[in-house]
Amino acid sequence: MPEAGLAAVGVSRRFRSGAGVHGIDLSIAPGEVHALVGLNGAGKSTFIKLLLGMLRPDAGTVAINGVDIRDAPAMIWAKVGHLVEHPLAYPELTARANLGLGARLHAIQPTEIPRLVENILDELALRPYANVRAGVLSSGNRQRLGLASALQHNPSLIVLDEPTNTLDPSGVILLREALLRRARGDGAAVLVSSHHLDEVARIADRICVLNGGRIIGGLDPRGIDIERSFFDLIHADTRESA
Amino acid sequence: MTGLRLLVAAISTEARKIRSARVGVATLIMLDVGIALVCIAAVLGARSDDTVLASKLGPLVAEGGWDGYLSASTQVTAVAGLLGFGVVLAWQFGREFSDGTVTGLFAIPVPRRTLAAAKLLVFLCWAFVVSSGLILALLIVGASFGLGVPGSEIGPLLAREYGLALLTAGLAVPAAWAATLGRGLLAGIATIIAVIVLAQIAVFTGMGGWFPFSAPGLWAATSGAGAHSVVTAGQLALVAPVAAAFGGLTLRAWHRLQLDR
Repeated sequence: MPEAGLAAVGVSRRFRSGAGVHGIDLSIAPGEVHALVGLNGAGKSTFIKLLLGMLRPDAGTVAINGVDIRDAPAMIWAKVGHLVEHPLAYPELTARANLGLGARLHAIQPTEIPRLVENILDELALRPYANVRAGVLSSGNRQRLGLASALQHNPSLIVLDEPTNTLDPSGVILLREALLRRARGDGAAVLVSSHHLDEVARIADRICVLNGGRIIGGLDPRGIDIERSFFDLIHADTRESA
Repeated sequence: MTGLRLLVAAISTEARKIRSARVGVATLIMLDVGIALVCIAAVLGARSDDTVLASKLGPLVAEGGWDGYLSASTQVTAVAGLLGFGVVLAWQFGREFSDGTVTGLFAIPVPRRTLAAAKLLVFLCWAFVVSSGLILALLIVGASFGLGVPGSEIGPLLAREYGLALLTAGLAVPAAWAATLGRGLLAGIATIIAVIVLAQIAVFTGMGGWFPFSAPGLWAATSGAGAHSVVTAGQLALVAPVAAAFGGLTLRAWHRLQLDR
């Protein structure tokens, strides 16, 4: 188990319906961008919720920087940035106020917050919306605001569940650059789930394929026909399971 | 990174939310101005030439004047206050699920139990503001609609009204617990409506003094103008452990929270 980054060992969680994830091992080293791909219902969001403590596993452990998340102190969580399902964007607050609130919840010193907020407003091109209430932003800009809240404190672990959903092409490029800056420049460990294969291939160092709640293999991000490789894995797994 | 610092951070974010949201301001206005206007309307109606209306409103504002007006306010506050405070608590806790922001409240340095405690503390402060505003609104509306300048004799009645408003705020805490368990506002609001119904049943069946959710209203309604209340101090004191118990259940629910549905 690596001391830094994220490590999941034998993580399982089964729901009453029978769905869930089963015995997943995954590790992400500092500076690495790891993509998790799979069809809808493959278990990507469930697994990410287990990694972040939103669900408790039936079996297995998750550690961040070598610390089991069940015992993780505040200083471990202070260096995590995440976006799962919905952005942390309260409709009654402006984009700037939402970012300030997100920074406070990440235990950033109040004197530091204005600088961080102004930086991320520029980095994700949110300045025109800084004083606009989140409730009237388009869904794409609200998503961008949620990503800004997840990234503004320069976390050492970034976990994003389908972050490009609702983003326009310029938002996708801004996010890609922001993630690469943090991974390559600051050494952040990054986990991104997606079902856009070409998108994750542009930034990922490793790609895992999730199907039926299990990791069934990996894809080469520099492969020539990544889509074909993906479906070959899925079809082989489906045949095996039948 | 001390627990106190994290609590302060949580309180500041919760205060910011309730200050900016329409529900906080709208409920404050409806409780303060609304209750005062309903009560003065009852007093003026009882004075009218319409004998049917006057006979219907008579029991509500029996003494007339400031006494009757403030007596009516206790009866309205006992029900409207519970609903208003309950709606705000249901919103504070349930909106995180309805708006989807709850996922952002995991995997952060501030523990969820601390977040829930901050919500309750901010609610408590807001309840003090609403209760103080209610006294002010009652005085302004009463004086403006012909009750004259109030004398010092209404001091105990105002203190009773203030105490009732605060006790009612405490009794609304189950809405926070229900909104958490039900993952949304509606569960909290439905619970507070059920509490109001049960409180009315308890009063009508003569058990109101022993039912903490009806005891403050019954105490306030029967203790005016020198009368001895049918509710004892011991029965009234049950409100505190009930509010604390539901507060504790809410903190526990947030501590153990999982996003499994």
